[in-house]
Amino acid sequence: MTPLQLSHVDSAVIGVWRWQAAIATFIVAVPTFAFGPSIPWLWPLAPALVILCGGFLTWWWPALSYRHLRFGVDETGIAIERGVIWRSRIALPRVRIQHTDVSQGPLERRYDIGTLKMYTAGSRHTMIELPGLRHEDAIALRDALLAEGAGSGV
Amino acid sequence: MASDGNFQPTLRLHSLSWVFGLSNAIKQMVLPLIALLFFNVRDDTPGPFGPWIVPAIVAFVAIRAVWVQLTFRYGFSPTGLVVREGMIFLNTRYIEYARIENIDTERRLLHRLLGVAEVRVQTSTGGKPEALISVLDLAAVQDMRDRVFSEARPAEQTVAAPAEDTLLHLGIGELVRHGLIDNRGMILVVAAFGVLHEAGVFVINEELFDRVLHSPSAAGLAALGLVMQIGLGILTILGAIVAVRILSVILAIVTFYDFRLTHVAGDLRVRYGLFTRVALTLRTRRIQAVHQNESLLHRWFKRVSLNVDLAGDSGVGEGSGDSSRNKTRWLAPVCPADAAPELIAAALPMLDLSAEPNWQPLAPGARGRIFRKALLWSVLILTAPAIWYLHAGAIVIVLGCIPLAWMHAHLYVKNTRWALARDAVLFRCGWLNRRLSIVPRNRVQTLSIEATPFDRRSRMASIYVDTAGASAMTAGIRIRYLGADVAQRLAAALYRTAGVTA
Repeated sequence: MTPLQLSHVDSAVIGVWRWQAAIATFIVAVPTFAFGPSIPWLWPLAPALVILCGGFLTWWWPALSYRHLRFGVDETGIAIERGVIWRSRIALPRVRIQHTDVSQGPLERRYDIGTLKMYTAGSRHTMIELPGLRHEDAIALRDALLAEGAGSGV
Repeated sequence: MASDGNFQPTLRLHSLSWVFGLSNAIKQMVLPLIALLFFNVRDDTPGPFGPWIVPAIVAFVAIRAVWVQLTFRYGFSPTGLVVREGMIFLNTRYIEYARIENIDTERRLLHRLLGVAEVRVQTSTGGKPEALISVLDLAAVQDMRDRVFSEARPAEQTVAAPAEDTLLHLGIGELVRHGLIDNRGMILVVAAFGVLHEAGVFVINEELFDRVLHSPSAAGLAALGLVMQIGLGILTILGAIVAVRILSVILAIVTFYDFRLTHVAGDLRVRYGLFTRVALTLRTRRIQAVHQNESLLHRWFKRVSLNVDLAGDSGVGEGSGDSSRNKTRWLAPVCPADAAPELIAAALPMLDLSAEPNWQPLAPGARGRIFRKALLWSVLILTAPAIWYLHAGAIVIVLGCIPLAWMHAHLYVKNTRWALARDAVLFRCGWLNRRLSIVPRNRVQTLSIEATPFDRRSRMASIYVDTAGASAMTAGIRIRYLGADVAQRLAAALYRTAGVTA
């Protein structure tokens, strides 16, 4: 797999992840601030922890995971590398792709980002996701992967 | 399909199909039904229909089963099998003859008494386009087989039934061994214990307890003296073990009675069961991997067990009554160790397994890491209970972990090897429970290399070779503690050949 050129996805995905983390932090923070004061030993500690972790996950983490998310396409298939602490590299030959989806959530739509989902007949990696592609790039990549993938898939 | 657009299927299910529809449905909700009945009889939480709720549900299910039977139609169109279900929500399924791989049957005791069978029409894709027809009489099944397979493969194959040669037949002796090794009876006992516990059988009735304690037999027991008491205790435990093993043997005989693995026109056929008779065809081109399992008991009896991963098993089950997908696909639940290579070769005919593969060890640092990990976990788990029960003696237990962990690491590394052959990847691992997995290279789906922080510190990685199969837990091969560069090279080699169809 070494000769494969790996490239980063679109950096706009950092914005999507920051918003997602901010919303998640907010959802956790509301009950913490609402009920925190009534539990004495929890009061100053829990909200501080939520703010700290939430800040970290919102500001630094998306940039970190962006830096570690790379993908590359060659004539055999596609390889995706991801993970900041637990690193993984998954290689998927294009003849093994059963079908694909390009999905877009509301936040992703705002940033014009799409997620490419590739389904295989495997048992553990039945669905492999590549987030953070520009929507039209995701569709182009899907078409490129499917164009020659006329195998049986099993 | 377009030419068959107007085809109307006319054949119906067997006239007693509703019995099976009803019994399947009841089997699925037997626990809630019992609970409902129980609560209603106790009468402290009366439901909306009082005591009539259970009969009402059963009647409803029976009506539904009759409805399904009356509206179900199947037929043989010029190019495919057509199955139509329902009347209001009409669902017509069309399965091309050429794509039908097997027509498998399963016959439980009731099926056999009534001379009918549950039929599964299998296609190679797995998942959705697959029909479960419950139930047809045997003549109809035979007719379906003839029609489908004569359409799919005209002329020569239908003229003379292909010869069937037996690869493996398990007699009672082998099944007894399987029962002894497998010890499935233990699971049954534990399950029964759980159910009884839930039902409140083990709530200690103090009065009863008191009576037993003061009964003459208890007094007699107390008078026996310590040695006799210990002896009696050991006898009881031994008796329980023997009873559980006997139960396992009975279970093995009932499940696998007359197990026969045969070779028919390039495919494997499996038949087994005393009451529930199962007939399966294992298409060799659907076999994704072969796993050989060898526990300590297996080795004592010089036996192994073999099972295969089949493509299409991972799909969502068709119909609620179809439990066959989750079952292990046995090539041989038990077979003599020296017969195993021949059976593996029969299951993977495209592989050349004659040459001894070039076995490779794990990364050099693997033993140290496994040792440290085993030691850490055993100390973490054992320290608190050891101190609680033994106080100062705990130090012996904790220190005792060191040689045991070292032994485990040493034996594990010694027995774990992987090999990349020209057409397959092989992996054997474990020392107490040895497992050998063989995956043909053209069956590989995806490859992933994973590295935890510990892996990265010692320049290691694990590789996961994914194949199609029944469950993510058992399918494919996962090799841990490989050198990072070795894992990269292995993945690259497999990636290049994964898509190549033989």
